[in-house]
Amino acid sequence: MEKNEAPSRLQSLALLFAAIIWVSPFTWLITTAFDNEANGLLRLPQKPGFDNFILALSNNALQQMINSVLISAGTATLTVMVAAAAAYPLSRIRIPGRNGFLWALVLLRMLPSTGVLVPIYFAALNAGVLNMVGVILALTILNLPFTLLLMKNFFDTVPIELEEAAHVEGATLWQIVTKIIMPLSRSGIAVIWFFAFTGAWNEFLFPLIFSRTEASFPMSIGLYAAFGQQGIHYGRLAAYSIIYAAPAVGVYFLLRRNMNTGFAGVGVKG
Amino acid sequence: MIVPDAHPWLKSGRFMLIAGMIPALLMVGFLVYLTVWAVVFSFTDLTLVGPKSINWSWAGLENYERMLFRRGFLESLWTTTIFTFFSAIVGQSMLGFLFAAVLRTQKSFLRSFVETCLILGWLLPDIVAAFLWASTTAKTGFINTLILVPLGFEPINFLNEYALTVVIIANIWKGTAWSYLLFVAVLDAVPKEVLEAAKVDGATPLQRTLRVTLPMIRQHIATNMLFITMWTFSYFALIFSLTGGGPGNDTKVLSILMYQQSFGVGKLGYGAAVSVGMMVIVGFLTIFYVRLLKEPK
Repeated sequence: MEKNEAPSRLQSLALLFAAIIWVSPFTWLITTAFDNEANGLLRLPQKPGFDNFILALSNNALQQMINSVLISAGTATLTVMVAAAAAYPLSRIRIPGRNGFLWALVLLRMLPSTGVLVPIYFAALNAGVLNMVGVILALTILNLPFTLLLMKNFFDTVPIELEEAAHVEGATLWQIVTKIIMPLSRSGIAVIWFFAFTGAWNEFLFPLIFSRTEASFPMSIGLYAAFGQQGIHYGRLAAYSIIYAAPAVGVYFLLRRNMNTGFAGVGVKG
Repeated sequence: MIVPDAHPWLKSGRFMLIAGMIPALLMVGFLVYLTVWAVVFSFTDLTLVGPKSINWSWAGLENYERMLFRRGFLESLWTTTIFTFFSAIVGQSMLGFLFAAVLRTQKSFLRSFVETCLILGWLLPDIVAAFLWASTTAKTGFINTLILVPLGFEPINFLNEYALTVVIIANIWKGTAWSYLLFVAVLDAVPKEVLEAAKVDGATPLQRTLRVTLPMIRQHIATNMLFITMWTFSYFALIFSLTGGGPGNDTKVLSILMYQQSFGVGKLGYGAAVSVGMMVIVGFLTIFYVRLLKEPK
C-alpha cells in the first residue's frame, strides 16, 4: 500500500529502535560467550576467542546433547508416524463417531500439560519408564490431539480424484498412500515434524520430573542444573546456551518457506 | 465399520486403515484416562514418598477446601491472572498487532530485519530466555550498566524488587512473535478494496484501523487470544527457571504452585487438585472465547 509516505522515515526509525531493544538482551550472552576471560560482567570481550565453546562441548555436555537429540527426534518421528497413520483414515472414511472424536481432540488440545502432570508421573513410575523413553511417550501423547487435527486438514486438501486415477491404474492402497498422499503433504509433514522437534528440544517440565540420573539429562535440564552449581563458569554457560539454542533457531530459518503453509493450516482450524 | 459409499481402494485396504488408527486411538484414550485420574487423585491424600504413596486413602473434599480456605491457591490464581492479562492479552497481542500493522507498510529489508529480531526471542528455549533476562536485569547487567548507572541512579536488582514485572516483560519478549505472525497472515487477508473505499470516504488511518480492520478480523483476534491465554495461563518453564516462584511468593503462578506442592512438598493429592482447578478455569476461558468467536455481528 502506498499510504502515508510522510511519517514513513520516523516510523522506520522507531521500528529500528524497537528491534534493537528487542535484541539487546542478547548482548551479555554474546560478549560473554566469545570472551576467553569472561567473568560474568557486561563488557566487551577482553580476549576474543572460542575457548568457551570448546569447554562447553567437553565433559557431560556431549551426552546431554545426544539425549536432547534422541528425545526430540524420537518425539517428532513418533508423533508424525502415529498421527499420519490415523489421520488418513479419519480424513477419508466416514467412521461412525468420527465427528465426536474430532471434537474430543479439539477439547483435549486445550488441556494444559501441567493438568495431567501428576497422573502421567505416576503412570511412568508404575510402567518403569521414568527416563527418556517416558519423556518421548509423554510428549507424543500430549502432541497427538493437535497434530492429528492438523494432519487430517492436510490430507483433506489432497484431491480424491488423484487417488481415483491411481486406483484405475491399478495402484493398491499402500501405493496410493506412499506414492501420492505422502509426497503431496510433504511440506506440511515437515512443518509438523519441526514443530514437534523444537517443542521437545525446548521442553523443560517433563525431563525435569522424569530424569532421575545425570546421565539422562537433556540439555535443558543440564543448563538449568548448571545455574545452581558453585562457582559458575559464565563463559562456558553462555557458550552452552548458544549451542543449545542454535538448532531450534537454525531449522526455523531453513524451513521458513514451508513454515507459512503450516501457519495457514493452523489458521484454518481455529 | 466402513460406510457403503467408501471408495474401492479404501474398502480393499480397510484392515490396514483400521490397524493404522489403533496406536493413535490408544494414545488419545490414555490421555483421557490420565485426565480422569487427575480428578480421582485430587480426592485422595496420595503423596510422592512415604507410606501414603502406596496406601493412599480417600480424603473427600479436603484438598479443595484447602485450596479455597488456606493461603496458597487464591494468591497464585491472582498472580497468574495478572501475569496472563499483562503479558499475553495486553503485551503480546497488542504489540503483535501493532508490529504487524506497521511493518506491512515498510520496505522489505527493514521488515525482515525487525521480524527476525522478534522471532529470535520466540525460538529461543525457555531456559536460555530465562538466562538472558536474568543477566539483563542483574545488578551488573545490561539495564544497570548501560542505562541506570550512567544516568546517576543506584543499580537495582530487578529480579529481587520487581520480579513479576521482569517475568511479564520476558514473556512479552518471548511470545509476541506468535501473535505477530498470526496477525500478518490475517491482515493480508483483509480485502484492499474495503480499505480503499474507506480512504476515499475520508477515513484517517486510525479510523480505518478501528472501524474497518479490527471489526473485520474480530474472530481472528479471539482465536489468537484463546491460544495465548491458554498457553500463558499454564506457562511454567520460563518463570520457574527465572525466579523459581520467588522472591517470597511474588511470581508463584499456579503451574509453579502445582509443581512445588506435587514434587517439592510431595503432596500429589493436593497438586492434582490444583491442576484440576487449572483445567476447570481453562475450560471456562475456552467457552468464553468460543462464544466470542461464534457471536455474529
